[in-house]
Amino acid sequence: MKWVHKILVIASIAFFLNGCVKKEILDDINLIEAIGFDYAGDGNTSGTILYPIYQPDQPPENKTLTAKALIKKSILQDIQLQAANPIVTGSMEAVLFAKELATKEGVLELIDAFQRDPGVGSGLYLAVVDGEARELMDGNYGVRGNATFISNLLENNIENEDLPKTNLQKFLFSYYQEGQTPFMPQLKKISDEKIELNGVCFFKHGKVVETISSDQMFFFRLLVDKYSNGLHRVKIKDGEAAVRSIRSTHNFDLSKRSPLEITVKIKVQGIVNEYTGNEVKPEQIKQLENAFGEEIKKQSQELVDIFKEQKIDPVGFGHFVKTRKRKYDLSKWLESDLKNLTVKVVPDVTITEAGVIE
Amino acid sequence: MKIPFKKKNTEKEALEKVLSKSNDYKNIHFTNEKTKVEFYLTFIASLTDEKIIHKEALPYLLHGELYNLDDVPELITIAETEISTNPKDIELKLFNGYVLVQVVGNEEQLCFFAAQREVGRSIGVPEVEFSVIGPKEAFVESMKQNLNLVRKRIPVKELVIEELTVGKISKTKVAIIYLEEITNQENINTVRQRLQDIDIDGVTDSSFIVQIISDNQNSPFPQLLDTERPDRVTASIIEGKVAIIVDGSPHALIGPTTLVELFSSFEDYFLNWIVSSFFRLIRLFAVTFSILVTPIYVATLSYHYELIPRDLLSALVASRRAIPFPPILEALFLELTIELLREAGARLPTKVGQTIGIVGGIVIGTASVEAGLTSNVLLIIIALAALASFTTPVYRMGNTIRLLRFPFLLFAELWGLVGIVLSFCIMLTHLIRLTSLGRPYLEPLYPPRRQDMKDALIRLSFKNQAKRPVFLRSKHPSRLDERDAKQKQDIDE
Amino acid sequence: MSVSIPENKKISPFLVFFVVQKMQFGIGILGFQRIIAKTAGYDAWISIILAGIAVHIVLWALFKMLETVNGDMISIHTFVFGKIVSKIFGLFFILYYLLLTVTVIRTYVEIVQVWMFTDLTTFWFSLIFLIVVVYIIFGGFRTVTGMAFFGIVLPFYVLALFLFTLPYAEFDNLLPILDHSISDILLGSKNMSLTVLGFESLLIFYPFIKDQKKSKKWAHLAVFSTTMIYVYLAILTFAYFPENQLQKNIWPTLTMWKIIMMPFVERFEYIGIANWCLIILPNASIALWCSSRIAKRLFSIKQRTTVPILAFICLIATSLLFTRKQVNLLSDLVGQIGFYLNFFYFPLLLVATLIAKKVKKNEVGS
Repeated sequence: MKWVHKILVIASIAFFLNGCVKKEILDDINLIEAIGFDYAGDGNTSGTILYPIYQPDQPPENKTLTAKALIKKSILQDIQLQAANPIVTGSMEAVLFAKELATKEGVLELIDAFQRDPGVGSGLYLAVVDGEARELMDGNYGVRGNATFISNLLENNIENEDLPKTNLQKFLFSYYQEGQTPFMPQLKKISDEKIELNGVCFFKHGKVVETISSDQMFFFRLLVDKYSNGLHRVKIKDGEAAVRSIRSTHNFDLSKRSPLEITVKIKVQGIVNEYTGNEVKPEQIKQLENAFGEEIKKQSQELVDIFKEQKIDPVGFGHFVKTRKRKYDLSKWLESDLKNLTVKVVPDVTITEAGVIE
Repeated sequence: MKIPFKKKNTEKEALEKVLSKSNDYKNIHFTNEKTKVEFYLTFIASLTDEKIIHKEALPYLLHGELYNLDDVPELITIAETEISTNPKDIELKLFNGYVLVQVVGNEEQLCFFAAQREVGRSIGVPEVEFSVIGPKEAFVESMKQNLNLVRKRIPVKELVIEELTVGKISKTKVAIIYLEEITNQENINTVRQRLQDIDIDGVTDSSFIVQIISDNQNSPFPQLLDTERPDRVTASIIEGKVAIIVDGSPHALIGPTTLVELFSSFEDYFLNWIVSSFFRLIRLFAVTFSILVTPIYVATLSYHYELIPRDLLSALVASRRAIPFPPILEALFLELTIELLREAGARLPTKVGQTIGIVGGIVIGTASVEAGLTSNVLLIIIALAALASFTTPVYRMGNTIRLLRFPFLLFAELWGLVGIVLSFCIMLTHLIRLTSLGRPYLEPLYPPRRQDMKDALIRLSFKNQAKRPVFLRSKHPSRLDERDAKQKQDIDE
Repeated sequence: MSVSIPENKKISPFLVFFVVQKMQFGIGILGFQRIIAKTAGYDAWISIILAGIAVHIVLWALFKMLETVNGDMISIHTFVFGKIVSKIFGLFFILYYLLLTVTVIRTYVEIVQVWMFTDLTTFWFSLIFLIVVVYIIFGGFRTVTGMAFFGIVLPFYVLALFLFTLPYAEFDNLLPILDHSISDILLGSKNMSLTVLGFESLLIFYPFIKDQKKSKKWAHLAVFSTTMIYVYLAILTFAYFPENQLQKNIWPTLTMWKIIMMPFVERFEYIGIANWCLIILPNASIALWCSSRIAKRLFSIKQRTTVPILAFICLIATSLLFTRKQVNLLSDLVGQIGFYLNFFYFPLLLVATLIAKKVKKNEVGS
């Protein structure tokens, strides 16, 4: 039986020599935390990666590397030429696109790479940069590194403020959904230590076609997110109040089939955060509710008009119609049918609290 | 000394030839004062209590009316006497501490009386399975005392203590203890058969027996429960298990056992069921943690950096930055250090052992972090894993747990998490295949038995434990007699 | 023609639940959504239910046959067609189960290669995997069942983790219900049935069940629960992906895991894939066990010799499949064979068995 042992020994040696797989030891790789793309003219794209160098008891040092390439997918390989350690994408938190690039070249080809990469999570944040992505990434924000700052900024705005839910999955969802077009938040570098969320960009065929300001974001969110919250200022005769919406829901209803009419019922439950007037009486509350409702109606209508004009549908009216009408053909939705759609917004605002002061 | 019997007692003659080399062999000639009968006393001095001979036997033999050998049992005041004609008994009895009386002229008849010297320590406190509450008695080396500890806890006639001798040279006495009316006959037969089949020259402890009679000798898992607590043995016997007590060993064996039983401390039964269930779950968690945490560390750091939460990432990378070794070497280095400390601590006297612990834990640990050999995150992980491995109430199981970590580590290094799951599968298969005295080892997890789950990962109250475990196939499945079913009363009735 | 198995090698009737469910619930669950939605769109969850009902009917037929002859598949074939034909059929089944084993292992290896280790060598992984499989089978059918049991109980938590996708779920995607023609939905059912195959291994392990009458209930319950799990998953998937995106993902289940984020684990799919090892190990074991068991029944060769040989054949076969195309081809082939076996051949076999029984009865009677 000796030969059996010999074979076993040889097999196990061979096993340990050949059976191993390539390692990615944590401290021997460059973890990309964010990647930014800029327009470099003549169809070229330049990519910048941001990777941290972690130090004990100190905030991580932000390092960036940039490369330019014609073929968008090869940017990472080109950057690799400058890096001492392999560049890996597994812990990426944000991808930024310069607005110029997103308007002229489109982002689809770049996003496709992230969708394909099994290492990239679906919770990745995508954002458009008002200005240059590279410049934005070169700043020094917060104590936990730039990428974490950017992703925390977006996360906080989604959870507590006006930004509609957005990430890679949301973007892909609305991109692939028939009768819907995607959007992305827009960031702007203010100074070397400050970034601001200054709006939302709407895409059509992967290119930015329209941008709304952060003031309109609140109303966009009411339309697009089933549940949302946020803060908005409302003016009435006696003064101005900041109304925080605690819980808003929207409800779509196909009220007329031909011509198409969608009724959007928006229910907002809010509290008064600040009030510049003297007293908050039931009267004022009533007034606030009405004024807020009116504003929601007006602003939403404005947004819908913008969508119709730009032939985009970030809310997904088309998809909604399809789910309510059997065998509905969406192929001409953006080009013609959207224009004929009537959207009626019915707001229902309830203000429940006015703070601890009476 | 002259050999008195030349003709027939060749057996004794042969014995004497060898024994006369030993100093403690005594063969002394006496003459009765009254009847002038000559007789010999033969014994091994180191095994007999000379006080007994001097006080209980010799005065009567010398001054009493001794005419022939048949008078001996009546004269002396020792209860355990025996007259035999079989010369083969001589060796057996002499080495069990008996004294041989032979009357000159009647060489064929042999009279033995018991005069064993009882050497041994007194009953102490359980050291391996210490419990804060509950009985504090532990078994000792003497089988007589051990049997006494069990017998007095089960004072019924059904308690059977069968005795066997194991070991060609050591002639160790082994007792099988069970309850006649309750224990499954098959289990008893298996134990008896396996004990009889043992072919070995010497057995000095019950751990020899456990290794020889377990179902799969190539398994790192203990397949019989060993305990030093008489109360645990008693409870197991009443449950319907078979206990084995080996002379000279302070550890009794209990079988059949299951994996979950090896993770349950007997103290669990002293505490309220909610508390003890909680402790059991903690222990279960500790064991899983102890086996898996280092392999998972190696796997994630070598292959799956994506899994690490981003807040932890910076701490991990920062602590690993200066370390020249890959995670596997780092982990092996620390694991082996811990094993070394444990081994050194176990070999040294208690007081020195403590010092070693402090030196190892504090000095080597911090120094190796400062020297940049290991990361402090791993140091914490390994120390916790080692601590967790000591929570297993059965010492043997703790050893197994510590050993198991290494194959897991190897596979984690090879294929990351897939490797860990694969090695887990191998372990699981091994456990499913394993049996204890022919009963499934993983019961009640597999085969799943709801009734036995009541005393497995958690322990329900005694009210819910009315049945004996199914896997024991007891002759009496119910623990209680027919009980009046208590009807649920409504509130305020 | 009944087969006698020693009592202590048999399994309790309720364990049939685990064996049957295990065979239905394996590698297919990682990618079935896309395949069924190809034709039936987002009405495909109806297809799953229809497929489930069909499986119940076939299962009933299997039990009926087994009860008639009180044996296993070989005894049925011998009963209906005689000894020689049954041997030929048996050979075919040996091959079928071998192919099933190869498909399971190779598909898993492919997933690991795509998602985790691009350079994992198929040969070495399959070698270790098959060694474990052989080790399991050597423990007898009880061990195989045991692995099936743990293969279901331990990874059960994964089902709850799918709820992490709820914040991104758009259940409107499923509307309008019945937007596809009946034939499309039925085609979806056919595609679905490929993933729920495997329960026919009952034909082989039936003699190993202790109280065979009682096991019926459990087998049906197993099929029912599998169907429910598939429906649950399909609905969550359809809500998570728009239809066009779903068609782009080969393994939608894995893609869904990418969104799961817990405080102590940033990404779940790697744990999930590793966990799947525990799920498919029993599948491969049951399939290989069936294969060797048929060989034993046909030629009375010891399973101890056949199992390593069959495992070796599997090893060679898995290492010879290189590209995804080949893997797909194989799994399609196995699926097709399984489909026709289960939904055409076995019902016909039932009819044949019943006729044969009548004829034999009449012979005895006259």
